[in-house]
Amino acid sequence: MTAVLEVRNLRAGYAEREILKGISFSLGPDDFFAIIGPSGAGKSTLIRCVNRLVEPKSGEVLFNGVELTKLSYPEMRAQRRNIGMIFQEFNLIERLSVMDNVLTGRLGYTGTLRSILRMYTKDDIAQALRLLDRVGLGEHVDKRADRLSGGQRQRVGIARALIQNPKLLLVDEPTSSLDPKISREVMTLIREMAAEFHIPVLCNIHDVDLACDFCTRVIGLQDGVKRFEGTPAELDKAALQDIYAMEVL
Amino acid sequence: MNAATLELRVAHINARRQRTRRARYLIYAVILIFVAWSIQAIVVKDTDWSRISLASLLDTFRRFADLDTGMIGELWKPALETVVMATLATLAGLVLSIPVAWLGAANITPFGKASYAVGRFLMTMSRSVHEIVWGLIFVSAVGLGALAGVLAMAVRSIGFISKTIAEAIEDVDPKPLEAIRAAGGSKFQILWFAILPQIIPVFVGNMIFEWDINIRRSTIMGLVGAGGLGLLLFRQMAMSNYGGIAVVVLAVLALIVFGEVASHYARRAVI
Amino acid sequence: MPAAEAGLATVGATPRAANSSPATWSRFRYPQSLYKYAALLASLAFLAFSVDFLDIEPDRLIGMLGRMGEMLGRRYFPPNLGHILNADYWHTVVETLQMTYFATVLGLAAAVPLAWFAAYNITPSRRFLYKPARLFIMACRSVHEMIWTILLVMVLGYGMLPGALALTLFCIGFAGKLFSEAIEAVKPGQIEAIRSAGANQMQVFVYAVLPQVRVAWTGISIYTWDVVFRAATVVGFFGAGGMGWYLRESVQRVASKDVAAILLSIIVVVVLSELLSAWLRTHIAKAVA
Repeated sequence: MTAVLEVRNLRAGYAEREILKGISFSLGPDDFFAIIGPSGAGKSTLIRCVNRLVEPKSGEVLFNGVELTKLSYPEMRAQRRNIGMIFQEFNLIERLSVMDNVLTGRLGYTGTLRSILRMYTKDDIAQALRLLDRVGLGEHVDKRADRLSGGQRQRVGIARALIQNPKLLLVDEPTSSLDPKISREVMTLIREMAAEFHIPVLCNIHDVDLACDFCTRVIGLQDGVKRFEGTPAELDKAALQDIYAMEVL
Repeated sequence: MNAATLELRVAHINARRQRTRRARYLIYAVILIFVAWSIQAIVVKDTDWSRISLASLLDTFRRFADLDTGMIGELWKPALETVVMATLATLAGLVLSIPVAWLGAANITPFGKASYAVGRFLMTMSRSVHEIVWGLIFVSAVGLGALAGVLAMAVRSIGFISKTIAEAIEDVDPKPLEAIRAAGGSKFQILWFAILPQIIPVFVGNMIFEWDINIRRSTIMGLVGAGGLGLLLFRQMAMSNYGGIAVVVLAVLALIVFGEVASHYARRAVI
Repeated sequence: MPAAEAGLATVGATPRAANSSPATWSRFRYPQSLYKYAALLASLAFLAFSVDFLDIEPDRLIGMLGRMGEMLGRRYFPPNLGHILNADYWHTVVETLQMTYFATVLGLAAAVPLAWFAAYNITPSRRFLYKPARLFIMACRSVHEMIWTILLVMVLGYGMLPGALALTLFCIGFAGKLFSEAIEAVKPGQIEAIRSAGANQMQVFVYAVLPQVRVAWTGISIYTWDVVFRAATVVGFFGAGGMGWYLRESVQRVASKDVAAILLSIIVVVVLSELLSAWLRTHIAKAVA
């Protein structure tokens, strides 16, 4: 099984502080990885190093064999098209409609002039409609994004990530801003659609139970170091205590 | 959703987006037409292009570039004058702004709608009249010199300072006012003891901002003989000393940068 | 300041040792009172210094109001409206509008990319574009619009062109700073999202920044028009076109009643413009939001 994403000895941080201290793991095409750990462990940084929203200091990130850390800015941009990202605070363009928000997922494939004039192709629009229907927002296509509820906004985020036809999905704490019931719905939707389109997922999540219910493999991070890697079944109390150190669960 | 409905919806969305796009282009076209009209009036009709040629432009730039470096030693006193004028004008503007803000704050204005209207009118007046016009007015009243310039800038500053004070007053916490009114205090005592302490930190930042702007204004108060870099500039212009003009303009730039840096740190110290 | 004094009583209260003399309350506590009176003294000293330094004659202030009253009553009143109610003058009003329009549209158009380059959070190049853009905006702002006018008149001769160009530079400085400050206040999450989809710098600007600053920028633009128009009425004084030219001409003839009429018309026109822009701001803000 060839790895879709391979991270080797990744280090990241600022001049004064190192946040990631040598992380390595490998993600296959059918995997749904959950990254757990206490706040400050570096989960957010790790996810952002993959698509270089944060620049790693050293180490390698191989995406389908391509060494991302060595790419120039235009080359990296081209690679980003193939990586979809779902955010904790949804990060929708609030003043634009749901449809326009989903279409922004095609920006990497649309020329600058056409995108400024908002002239997306008919196929893009059709794809957007299909995805919005699939996530259950078919009736809200023209609504302004800031008129939606939290759960609805995250669905738009999911559609936006998927319209990129990505080969990898990065998910950063998708449910932190949602209540428990909606959280489950959103996680279910992500898992279903990832399976439907055969996209592996790398997901940050702080709710350990939620993580275990949805993922195939767990990575436990503490203070920038990988403390655990295994299946949810292997994640027993001893392992959890190790990851969360003195935190009482 | 089957393929037929999908196609229908896509066509519908596309059509709507096209219409919006066309409407926007129309507005841009209208704006551009007016721009073209004004360019035609300004550049084509009004300008005497026979007198302007690339050669004459280059010659003028060359004359400016020939900096009169001998003047640099003489710049300190005028620069200091400019700063002192700006500071004095801002302080005087503050003093004059207090009664205007009192009138123009909806919650403490003494005679209701009438005095509120007067206050707001004074604020607008101060802003609408250009500082040069104020300068001309005050020259007639007090003669040429720094006093006219300082007064002109002070009156001009009233508009902004009193507006920020009035807004701060309107946002004030009403509880201390209530306390003093209940204790039998007069309107003035309410202003002094309950309102002023609350608003001082708010408007100090704005005053520093206005001081920065007044430095800029005092550079042209030389027109009314006010002194400072403005007067130096006008003298150089009267002598057609291009190199000297360039030096003074650069000095103005340097002074403004100094003012910006100073006001940046001052504001941070206050807030 | 009273509350400061009250604050002095509380803030300055130091805990007293058990065996020291009983605490007394005093309005003047050292060293806070020292600072306060030092500040007051410094202000008075500054006042005295500046009056002397600038050669201001305080006795000119006395009687100033009296003189202004007399001046307004006899020399400036009634304003010679006949002087301005002719076609030539109306033409200068149109000229003023044209210069304003030219300067505002072109200035705002130039300010948009400049503000983009000068905004630290999303400038396309922090190394090559950020500082030059900021410097340019600051240079345009620092030099008073009248100085720009004078310089450009020296280069281009009399007429509307130097005035229009000077106003354009003024507009760039004024709006550029406000525009870039609005950009620096946007929410970063939206920028992140658009970047992560593989968009280029221009697309990030159009999709993540512009929708967020649209409302603020509209208000700023209308405000800028106002300020430019006010300056445009006066640039004529230094040789550029517009109403200011009439003003200079009548000031030089010391025809006070004519000056009064022109000043009155300038004030009327500026106030009208302000009313219009205030109305526009409230109505357009709703439409653009």
